[in-house]
Amino acid sequence: MKPPIPIYDCHGHIGIHPDFPAYKADPEELLRVMDLLNIEVLAVTSTLACYNDCPRGNAEVAKVIERQPHRFRGYITVNSSPAGEAASELARWSWFHKPPLIKLHPDLHKSPVNGPGYRPVWDYANRTEAVVLVHTWDSDPNCSPILLAPVAREFPRARIILGHSGVTWRGYHQAIECAEGAANVFLDITGSQSHRTIMEKMVDRLAYDRILFGSDMPYLEAAVSLGRVLTAQISNEAKEAILRLNFVKLLQESA
Amino acid sequence: MLSRSTIDPALSEVAAWDVFDANASMGRSGTRGELALDAPELIAEMDRFAIRRALVGHLAVEEYDVRAGNALLIEQSQSYLDRLEPVVGALPEPDFIQQLSGNPPSVVRLFPTKHNFSCEAWCAGELEECLQAHGILTLIAREELGWDALVSLLRNFPRLPILLLETGYRADRWLYPLMRQHPNLYIDTATYVAHRQLENFVDRLGADRLMFGSRLPFYTPGAALAVLATARIPDEARLLIAGKNLRRLFGARANRQETRNK
Repeated sequence: MKPPIPIYDCHGHIGIHPDFPAYKADPEELLRVMDLLNIEVLAVTSTLACYNDCPRGNAEVAKVIERQPHRFRGYITVNSSPAGEAASELARWSWFHKPPLIKLHPDLHKSPVNGPGYRPVWDYANRTEAVVLVHTWDSDPNCSPILLAPVAREFPRARIILGHSGVTWRGYHQAIECAEGAANVFLDITGSQSHRTIMEKMVDRLAYDRILFGSDMPYLEAAVSLGRVLTAQISNEAKEAILRLNFVKLLQESA
Repeated sequence: MLSRSTIDPALSEVAAWDVFDANASMGRSGTRGELALDAPELIAEMDRFAIRRALVGHLAVEEYDVRAGNALLIEQSQSYLDRLEPVVGALPEPDFIQQLSGNPPSVVRLFPTKHNFSCEAWCAGELEECLQAHGILTLIAREELGWDALVSLLRNFPRLPILLLETGYRADRWLYPLMRQHPNLYIDTATYVAHRQLENFVDRLGADRLMFGSRLPFYTPGAALAVLATARIPDEARLLIAGKNLRRLFGARANRQETRNK
């Protein structure tokens, strides 16, 4: 089961997990799996940064993208706490990518995505037309997709990716509704819940240029998202856009 | 027989696997009605994904009443027994035990949380004894019982084949020791979807106790099939997981029945 074109994957990680064993998770192993599945580029976030330590985590990402600049893109992960650290991390790692790629994990960082703690980040993202990948979860008080529609409207030049599209069946519907209300919102299909017919619904309601392939490797198995796209009852044109072209466009790279 | 023309082109390799799905349901759903499928619709979806046969429960068993759901299951699967293997529900109540002893089915599914009973021997021991005596494959979803309750069940009934469904992808620190200690434990692949988790399992524990599961009608089989298709495991292991393991369990039970009937 191979995709028809090389994939640009908007959602990956570097690092391991506290609550379950990681297999074949180092960058060299990731590259082998990327080659197997025809994933040309993987945009990565540091798992250490998502859980515990942004400065150290972003430094891990720096090493990976320095070593393999053609295969990896790096998100700068920022936390709203301690105050001021996000701005310094954004400045320190601004060479990662232009436009900047920023990752927010309001669930693990226990801070509402629409709260005052993240305002400096949203200002920066708006100013730099950054791509901001936000972890989202169905109705979560810190990261529900519903919280992001007003943010997207207030900061219209930021391009916001709803990581996991809210995960659950209801979360997906919240994410679709959020994207319908703001043209700068994009949906990432990463997730462990492979809802039947949801790909078709997203394409029906949003058009395919707002949907992005994400794997969450080495958390989740990339073949999950691959199988969902390749077997969805949508046009080949839509599949190619989702697998590659939409994220290439967001990154402002050439196809 | 599956017609190649009905199979999604992305799944052409799957047609040769003779897939036997360990985790499917049919019937109306009060909570997820938009996704529910009746028997002909389920079979059409199985055709598209080259799934030859499936263990299928009825959502009325899970969501409403075991007796009423079992009746609907038998009635609605009757015309499709070449494709659908009915999975009846059971309760730790005397009429169920009597029925299971008199006419043992191939497979049952228990819902201890939804149906509000304990799987510990003091509560469901008689039912479990009956299931073990007849070698009935017993399906339980992970969310339906705690790990300690599962351990008791495995210890108390070491000859009862238990297929733990929907383990999730974060459970290996529980699953690996359990699989090593209890040869009667099997798992399905529907939610076993961490990065390279399937191939790691096969490397460490072998392929004999993994069963392909789709979680139809709620999940698309495309995901679990892609995980199996792209796992770096021997082709024979892939075929075991796709369907041979489940067929082997059924074969074992059929042989026991035959011996008992002589």
